[in-house]
Amino acid sequence: MIVTAQKPLDEILGLVSPYSNILVAGCDGCTQPPRGLREARTLSQLLELGGKLKGKSFNFKVTTLVKQCDSFLTASALKPQVEGVEAVLSLACGIGVQTVAGLFPDLVVLPAQNTHFMGAEDREGGILEERCIGCGDCLLALTGGICPFTRCAKGLLNGACGGARDGKCELSPDRYCAWELIFERLEKKGKLDIIKEFRPPRNYQVKAWRLVP
Amino acid sequence: MAEPVTEERIAVKIDEQYCSRCSICRSLCPFEAITRDAETGKILLQIEKCQVCGICYSACPARAIDTIYYDQGSLLKYLEGAKKKYNSQNLVIMCKGSAPDFTEVERLFGVSGFIPLSVPCVGRIPDEVFLTALGMGIGEIYVLACDEDYCRFDRGSPLAGRRILALNLLLGQLGYGRITLKRSSLKVKVDKDRCISCGNCVFYCPYHAPKLESPGGISFDLAACKGCGLCVVMCPAFALELEHWERERISALIPKLLSEMKPPRILVFRCQWAVFPSLDGKLSPNVRLIDLPCASRVDAVHILDAFQKGADGILVAACSEEDCKQEKAGGKAQRLVARLNERLSKVGFSDRLYFCSVAPRQGDGFNKELEQFSQKIKELSQGAKK
Repeated sequence: MIVTAQKPLDEILGLVSPYSNILVAGCDGCTQPPRGLREARTLSQLLELGGKLKGKSFNFKVTTLVKQCDSFLTASALKPQVEGVEAVLSLACGIGVQTVAGLFPDLVVLPAQNTHFMGAEDREGGILEERCIGCGDCLLALTGGICPFTRCAKGLLNGACGGARDGKCELSPDRYCAWELIFERLEKKGKLDIIKEFRPPRNYQVKAWRLVP
Repeated sequence: MAEPVTEERIAVKIDEQYCSRCSICRSLCPFEAITRDAETGKILLQIEKCQVCGICYSACPARAIDTIYYDQGSLLKYLEGAKKKYNSQNLVIMCKGSAPDFTEVERLFGVSGFIPLSVPCVGRIPDEVFLTALGMGIGEIYVLACDEDYCRFDRGSPLAGRRILALNLLLGQLGYGRITLKRSSLKVKVDKDRCISCGNCVFYCPYHAPKLESPGGISFDLAACKGCGLCVVMCPAFALELEHWERERISALIPKLLSEMKPPRILVFRCQWAVFPSLDGKLSPNVRLIDLPCASRVDAVHILDAFQKGADGILVAACSEEDCKQEKAGGKAQRLVARLNERLSKVGFSDRLYFCSVAPRQGDGFNKELEQFSQKIKELSQGAKK
C-alpha cells in the first residue's frame, strides 16, 4: 500500500484559505491509513471549524473515489461533481493528486497528504514501514523474501556489513539487521548457498522517466 | 460561584439489620461483588466490583438491599405519574441495551398508546413492581429484554425471563392479564456497496465477528457481534451501521437538542452503562445528553457536527476499562477523543472537548465531572465575549 501521512492541519487550512467552494476527495484505493469518505468528512468539518475562528467560511463538498490514480475512473466519477468548485483537496497519494490535476487543468488541486513510501502496516504497533523502493529489478528470490534496499540501512546488495550487534543495526539499535534476518531465513529453508551468490550492483543510471511498456 | 458540595452517594448498600444472610444475592451477582464473611456469616458488598445492575436488589427476599437507581419506590412513583400523563393501560418496559427509544414498540408489540419505562436491564425490576402496576389498573405489561447472550449484565435478561414466567403462572391462576416478554439485540449492519475492503473492522472487532474474503468481501458473524459499535466508528467508508444507533439517527438529535438549550451549550455523549439516566429526566437548560450503546460508538463526525452547529463544550462520558461491558472500550474512546482534541487544537479550537470515565456506582461522579466541565466552558465563553 502507499503510505501517506496527513499534512499538519494548519498547513492544510492555509492551502485552502484562498478558496471558498472546495471539494474534498477521498481515495478508497491503496492509501494507508484509509482516506475514504469518513476522513473527507472529518477533515472538512475540522477545516470549517478552524476557518470559522478566522472569520472564513467554506462551502465544502465531500466525495470519495475508487482509485484516484486511475485517470479513466476518476475522470468519469469527478466530472459531475466539480461544477462550481474552485479547488479540490485530495486525500490521495501524490499520484492521485497529479491525476486529478492533469484531468482538470482549470481547477486548483491541493494535496492534504504527504506521500512517503510503499510499505506495510504493523497494525498492532500502529506502525507503517517501508518495504519496497520500486527498483524495477526485484531480487527477493535471492534474499529469502526480505528487501535489503528498504530494510538494510546501507541498502547493501551483498551483506552483511559486519557492523550489527545482537542482530540489531549499528546505525539504530531499534532496527534489526536485514542481512542477519536474510541469513536466518535462508538457513531455516536450507538454502544458505544462495547467500554466496554475487548480486551485481544495481543500475542507477536512469532514475527518472521510468516506463513499463 | 462556590463549588457545590455534593456528598458521595453509594449506589448500592446492604442493610445488615434486615439481611437474613440467605446468600441469594451472592449467587446471582454476575460480577462476584458480593461475598460472605466466613467467620461472621455476614453478606458483604464490594462496591468497587459492583456494576449496579440491580439484580441483587430485585431478588433480595428481605428487601435488605437499597439502590439509588430505579428502586421500587421511585419506579412506582413514576408509574403513578406516567399513568395519568399517558392515559393508557399498557405498560411497556424496555431494556436500554436492546431499545434506545420507543420507536419499535408498535412493530414489536402492536400497541400504539402506552406508558413507557426505560431501564438499564429489565432484570432489576422486582416482582412487586409488576404486581403493583397490575393492581394500579394497568391491563397489559410488555417487556423487551436483550437476548440472553447479549445481556450487558450477563444474568439480567435470563433472570427477567424466569421471573416473568413465574409471574405469568401466578397471574393466570388469579385471572389477570399476562406479561408479554420479547427479546432482541442490536447488531451491526453492512452496506456492501460502500465497503472498500480495507479490513479495519476485522482488525478492530474485539469479537472476531467480521470476515474479509477475496472474492466475497466483508461479512459478519452476527452471533458473535456484541453491538459495541467500534467497527462502525473505525470504518473509513461509512459502510457499517449499528442497528438503532445509526449515524443519521444520532446526527438528527444534535440540532434538535441544541435548539432546546441555552448558552453555554454543553452536549454530553455518554455510554449508557457509565451514567444511568434519572427517571424524571430533569436537566439544566445548558446541558443535553446523547446516549451511546457503548463508548466505542462515540464518533468524531458527531462531535464535530455538534461543534459546527453551535455546541460550546462536549463531554464524553465512558466507563473505565475495568468496568466496560464490552472490551475495554473506555480506553479506545479516550484515545479517539485525545486524537480529535489534538487535531482540533491545530485549527485553533482548544479545551472544548473533554473525556471523563465514570461509573454509576459513584452516585455523584458524573455530576461532579459535568459541574467542573460546565464551569470551565462558562469561563471560556465569558473570556471569548470580553
